[in-house]
Amino acid sequence: MTVKWILHWTPTPGSVVNSQILSEISQCVESFVNAVKDGRWKATLTFYRPNLRDQSIPSEFPRDFLGISLLEQPNKYYFIIRGNKIILEADSTILTIMEKLQSYKSKVALNFEGVQYKMGDFQMKVVKVVPNQGESLRGILIEIEYLPISSIEKAKPIMEEFLEVWREVMSKKSLPGHFTQTEPHFADYKLPDNYTSQHTAIQYAAALAQLIQSAQLRG
Amino acid sequence: MQQQSQQAPPPHSTSTPPPAPPSSTGGSAAEAPPKQVALAMDKLGEAERIIADIRIGADRVLEALFVAASEPRHGTKPLQLFLKEDACMRRYLQDLRSLGKELEESGVRSRKDFWGLHMPLVCPDGTMVGYAWKRQLAGQAGASAVDRTRLALKAFTDQKRRFFPHLDCGLETNESASKKRCGSVESTLDPKEESSILKMLPDVLKSVEKEVPNLKILTFERLDWLKRASTLNSSTNENSVDHSYPGSNKLRLGSLGTVATEKVAVIEMLVPSTFRVVISLHPAGSTDPDAVAFFAPEESGSYVHARGFSVHHVFRHITDYAATALQYFLGNQVESSLYCLLHWICSYQTLFSRPCSKCSRLLAADKQSAFLLPPVLRPYWQFSLSKILSTISTKDHTSDITPAYHLGCFSEEL
Repeated sequence: MTVKWILHWTPTPGSVVNSQILSEISQCVESFVNAVKDGRWKATLTFYRPNLRDQSIPSEFPRDFLGISLLEQPNKYYFIIRGNKIILEADSTILTIMEKLQSYKSKVALNFEGVQYKMGDFQMKVVKVVPNQGESLRGILIEIEYLPISSIEKAKPIMEEFLEVWREVMSKKSLPGHFTQTEPHFADYKLPDNYTSQHTAIQYAAALAQLIQSAQLRG
Repeated sequence: MQQQSQQAPPPHSTSTPPPAPPSSTGGSAAEAPPKQVALAMDKLGEAERIIADIRIGADRVLEALFVAASEPRHGTKPLQLFLKEDACMRRYLQDLRSLGKELEESGVRSRKDFWGLHMPLVCPDGTMVGYAWKRQLAGQAGASAVDRTRLALKAFTDQKRRFFPHLDCGLETNESASKKRCGSVESTLDPKEESSILKMLPDVLKSVEKEVPNLKILTFERLDWLKRASTLNSSTNENSVDHSYPGSNKLRLGSLGTVATEKVAVIEMLVPSTFRVVISLHPAGSTDPDAVAFFAPEESGSYVHARGFSVHHVFRHITDYAATALQYFLGNQVESSLYCLLHWICSYQTLFSRPCSKCSRLLAADKQSAFLLPPVLRPYWQFSLSKILSTISTKDHTSDITPAYHLGCFSEEL
């Protein structure tokens, strides 16, 4: 699989994330390096909470248990426990099993809806984060991909330079905020250097955690 | 004299014929090349007619067999028909053989193809033969004139060196002395010793493998490569995990030990996580490359071969450039073209990490497409046998000093 980097939009303190910023960013991408619109993309993220009859013993169960589904892997479902740095790639039929077992309930579900652009050997996605029920924009992410390389280490210099070029283009627009990258710590999850959908799942989970954190800070 | 080979089945000569000097052949050598070509064309026309007769004859034989099988009461009639056709066929085949011999003697099939005019591959039913041969002849007529000039020049320089040694001023070390950038250091090795190291294919490959760590070289027969190309994606993962997996056919598909040297027609070079290169050799088992193409390591499919193109822009550009480099090596580094080519390819190990030597950046926009590309050009004229050997002996890795350029940064550098 080709290497992807995911960055999330951090608004400057005092400003909000709204659809106008999203359209500005999309415009930026469209005029960047001869980009061609390539299609839509979707992923979902679900927070799970243990279904306990007795609510007073929550401490044994993980508090940040997430489930992620990705468009490019329709038959797989990814479970992540961020606290213990565990990721599990399961078949999508696990959802039926979970329904039957009823041991975990879905607390919050979010959708990632993206538009993909292709520019030569690079691909970019502009992704908006919206709740499952509702249209309010919770966050903006971009995903950068370099198609010829599958090794994370090898792709680093190229991706960094691409990001520099991208940031230069963005700075001309003087939008209230900037894109930050969360350090994904793949090694902690014991993942190899070859990029896979598991790496994607971890990056989205990390980006979302950051978004939530910064939203909480803003009040 | 040249060896005779059969013509009715595909006339693909497996023995390397000795390069015949143009004036040593039979009676038709007294005529000028255009007449030779015309005569050869006539004979080819004749050959076509004989082949057509053979095909009709084969049909008749089959018909006779069919009749004999379906109605046994006809008695000896089908048998006689069969015998008659058999005699005809043998006569035709004999005619064809003698015609083939004539064509060989007139120089049509003799010379080793230096100018890329390869023996055309023939379809099993022989339909392509006439047309492909005609094309071959026309090309050879043109090439023979250039060949003759080259041989004359070589004879002249040899004689000059023998009788006028004081005039010998190093002009022969560079055939392309007119190009200023080809000023290479004269090697201290005896030229015979140099080229003898590299005449055999296994030696070339082994020496490159030794000199460039982290590189995997595999060899294949031509048809085996087609099978492997479609399964590349599934086998690359296995390769990285377990090399000595017993009983797995895919891993043992090609390696120097298991493919007979004279059948090797495709070389695959893999630099893990960076690129995969496919080189085709012609004729099989020799050290003469005739095509080269770059791909990403994950690409797999029937388009992954020495004349194919990658789906990625960066590798497409490199493949284009590699075609030029290949022609350069074939023309200027004749004895060591494969060796130099392999080393030049290895300089691309730094494709995704070395910034351009002109603008010091890793990515630059291509002028035509505006896409961002890493520096895809590495100067090939710096790769000559003597230079490579001297860099290796001083324990300096060539990859460290080869400059790299973006497509746009390069034109001014000349």
